[in-house]
Amino acid sequence: MNGVRILLRQPRSLVGAGILLVLLLMGLLAPLITPYDPNSLEFGPFMPLSAQHPLGTTAIGQDIFAQLLYGARLTLLVGAVAGLIATILSVTLGLTAAYVGGWVDEAINALINVFLVLPGLPLVIIAAAFLRGGGVWPVILVISLTGWAWGARVLRAQAMALRERDFVQAAVASGEGPGRIIFMEILPNMTSLIAANFFGAALYAVLSEAGLSFIGVGDVSLVTWGTMLYWAQAKGALLQGAWWWVAMPGLGIALLGTSFALLNFAIDQLGNPRLGWGSVKSPRRKLAPTPPAAGNALLAVRDLDVGYVTPQGTVRAVRKVSLDVAPGEFVGLAGESGCGKSTLAFAATRLLNPPGEVLGGSVSLAGHDLLSLTPEALRQVRWKEFSVVFQASMNVLNPVLKIREQVYDAMQAHGITDPARLDARARELFALVGIQIRYLDSYPHQLSGGMKQRVVIAIALALEPKLIVMDEPTTALDVVVQRQILQEIAEVRRRLQISIVFITHDLSLLVEMSDRVAIMYAGELVEQAPAHDLYAHPAHPYTQQLMKAFPPMTGPRERRSGIPGRPPSLSETLPGCPFFERCAVRMPGTCDVKPLETFTVGEAHTVACFLYDPAVSPATKELALSHALNPVIAKEVQLESVPNSALH
Amino acid sequence: MNPSQTPLSTNSAQPQPSPLSQTTSGPNTLDIVNLRKVFGGRGKGGGVVAVNDVTFSIRRGEVLGLVGESGSGKSTIARLIARLYQPTSGEIRLNGEVVPHKLGGRGLRQLRRRVQMIFQDPYASLNPLHPVSYTLARPLKIHRLARGNTDPQVRVLLERVGLTPALTYAAKRPFELSGGQRQRVGIARALAAQPELILADEPTSALDVSIRLDVMNLMLDLKDQEGLSMLFITHDLAGARYMSDRVAVLYAGTLVEIGPAVQVIDQPQHPYTQLLKSAAPKPDAGLTPDHIEARGEVPDLSTLPPGCPFEPRCPYAMRECKDGLPRMYDVGGEHQARCLLHDPAIKARQAVAGYAP
Repeated sequence: MNGVRILLRQPRSLVGAGILLVLLLMGLLAPLITPYDPNSLEFGPFMPLSAQHPLGTTAIGQDIFAQLLYGARLTLLVGAVAGLIATILSVTLGLTAAYVGGWVDEAINALINVFLVLPGLPLVIIAAAFLRGGGVWPVILVISLTGWAWGARVLRAQAMALRERDFVQAAVASGEGPGRIIFMEILPNMTSLIAANFFGAALYAVLSEAGLSFIGVGDVSLVTWGTMLYWAQAKGALLQGAWWWVAMPGLGIALLGTSFALLNFAIDQLGNPRLGWGSVKSPRRKLAPTPPAAGNALLAVRDLDVGYVTPQGTVRAVRKVSLDVAPGEFVGLAGESGCGKSTLAFAATRLLNPPGEVLGGSVSLAGHDLLSLTPEALRQVRWKEFSVVFQASMNVLNPVLKIREQVYDAMQAHGITDPARLDARARELFALVGIQIRYLDSYPHQLSGGMKQRVVIAIALALEPKLIVMDEPTTALDVVVQRQILQEIAEVRRRLQISIVFITHDLSLLVEMSDRVAIMYAGELVEQAPAHDLYAHPAHPYTQQLMKAFPPMTGPRERRSGIPGRPPSLSETLPGCPFFERCAVRMPGTCDVKPLETFTVGEAHTVACFLYDPAVSPATKELALSHALNPVIAKEVQLESVPNSALH
Repeated sequence: MNPSQTPLSTNSAQPQPSPLSQTTSGPNTLDIVNLRKVFGGRGKGGGVVAVNDVTFSIRRGEVLGLVGESGSGKSTIARLIARLYQPTSGEIRLNGEVVPHKLGGRGLRQLRRRVQMIFQDPYASLNPLHPVSYTLARPLKIHRLARGNTDPQVRVLLERVGLTPALTYAAKRPFELSGGQRQRVGIARALAAQPELILADEPTSALDVSIRLDVMNLMLDLKDQEGLSMLFITHDLAGARYMSDRVAVLYAGTLVEIGPAVQVIDQPQHPYTQLLKSAAPKPDAGLTPDHIEARGEVPDLSTLPPGCPFEPRCPYAMRECKDGLPRMYDVGGEHQARCLLHDPAIKARQAVAGYAP
């Protein structure tokens, strides 16, 4: 299984499994390792360490080394069996509660809670005292019965989440019965959690057994590491200087516990891969000197290269992208999911987290070289010069703070502390984005999604930044609310003369809102043009097909087609045009071998397509257009877009 | 096919159960009559009315587009029909047979063979651990549509949804597929049971723009080839217009407009449909010329006004709108709208006052 392979690559799980294996072998091979019986009393009391008795003897003349080896057997047995029983109880009760629901769930949940609030160890002690002297099984039983509740609670929560998942609903809708839904749909998705739960329960069992035996409520006639501790204590081992009698079983328990804990954690991480991240350091990039921003651009992105560094190699999500935003300009950035549009925005605003990394290029904003600013200098610039609004940013509002405090926050961080001024500014901002002033004193949960997104936009405007980057700010909202907010944004921009970079996959929306539109595909910027120009004369075959790829609201109902195929994987190195595979007018021998270049086809209109390359012979272009896979597209390229000069 | 005389009363808004005479001219694939779902509110009062006495039909071989915003109850209706939720009251008929209120075991399994769902998010609706062949073979086995080896049928299913070479795709797990391919698997799973009715719950809204049309085209082709009937749920008017023969518009759990797709979307008769239409992006017009007129947002379903649910936001709201839920008015053809503006008496009054919407 895949998971096992991943586990074997982790140092944590390897160490854990290694320790467990050694302890297991100690127990299993005990008769081969030592010639002595752990219970025989044939030697003298308190013999010192010697070659014959590596750990000496006990107060009644048993070989301690033999006891340690044989003790591993029962200790491991208790851990494994009690862990197993507790896990079976947890899984059965947790899943039943989650799947059946209703009063069954309530009853099981109540039972779980009762067991959780009962003080565990005292309960074990009392129960064990009643069953005293019956060998190892009563101990196992008692520990299992007190150790299942925690796991049942976790598994119940997980199963409830899974039960609501679409694939379980889909199985129900296709007529699948409860047995298969539990065992084939839900349970396999909980494997790592159940395994982690087993090791957690086993750890609890080992520790409980040791504790019980130590205080003498287990069966002290058995040889376990716990009873060894009991006898060592009872016979005053430490007073006799035989510290190893205490230390060795203690060490054994500690090692076994460590092994279970390591395995538990390693498996848990398998289910929650995010637990492992966070400490990845991105190496500092060598900074190129910033070239001066072209013309009067407010934001100048030059040859920006951004990648995600993964164990499987670097995914180049943004490939040498250059983009200018003029003061007061509304630039739309469009593309499919995974085309790199959001990565570009994150990287350009220094918000990229590991494993994302800027691999090259520069970003300058109003004279600041954004990529080389120190964190403190960045803090100064951020929000004052530029701010950001993200797709789910209504969730950035802190639920326990009043809206007012959150609006004040950014302003206070930048040195505005006068309460009257803060209040006045907050009112101004709310009026600007169309929210009633009374909402200032509400909590986020009292506001609808649209209102919250307006608050976030108001906060982004708080310090009058010159630029706001908006990454799908309305995608999560309903169409009507989306439209209202877009109107507010357009209005605010006109009034404050700020620049906006607006990222979305909805091209028709962008064409309507933007001054200029940039289209990204597979990490490359493939076309840039004034919005009306792009709408009237899209030049890149991808743009042309994208324009036709949504159903129209008006006109006759006719069949349209999407763009067949899918974008290339971003971990590949592509020699030529990334759209080659899906392109209806591709020119084999040109597009798939020449490094991508950008050509100018009109005023401020550039396109990365070799159909517009004067160096490519007209005959090649005409051949491609006439052989086009999609006659409609070919006709259009021919009639509308390819300038005559490029063809002849 | 259904004669054009299908009585429109199937769409009427009479609160009492409709007369049985409706289905005399050949059964529709689906009739739902005064379907109602109240969530929560066991014990004293309360409860959220997610679906409020909704009535409509789907004829054989027809696609009915169900349009509404989040919280309008459109997905709840699909889940009521598929019996993922238990209806609070109302009647569901499949091919004229009433689906009993209490269903279990065989009855439920039978229903689920006849009605299949396509889910919104293809990343969530396939079990990440199962290969495609397992996902597609299960419905065949559950409903005993295959004897022994299911591989040939799985291959045919994959070919029908355009996933070729089928053998390669059958062995893949979801993480190896793109969003569009996953959704094709979802469609194949729905087809596997040979259903009479497919409930497609926003099947394209989680997909990229460039592949949405191909998935819609696939569903249209399958509908034509197999004579399937389909409920196509969406929030996108343009998509509904592309896919559907007729369109029904839902607002806050209430059906507000229904009729032929082109009529409803080109000449919407309910102010809410008009609002939805004005909010859709129009690349060839700027934002300003079409500044939309709507106050507020979709209301909280637990605090709906007693009258027309859209009244608080409606630019044409009148005193009478608060009096009670308006009935459905015929506005031409098979087109109906639940709005007092189409009440003859009120129309006459407004004509006198020189005011028209």
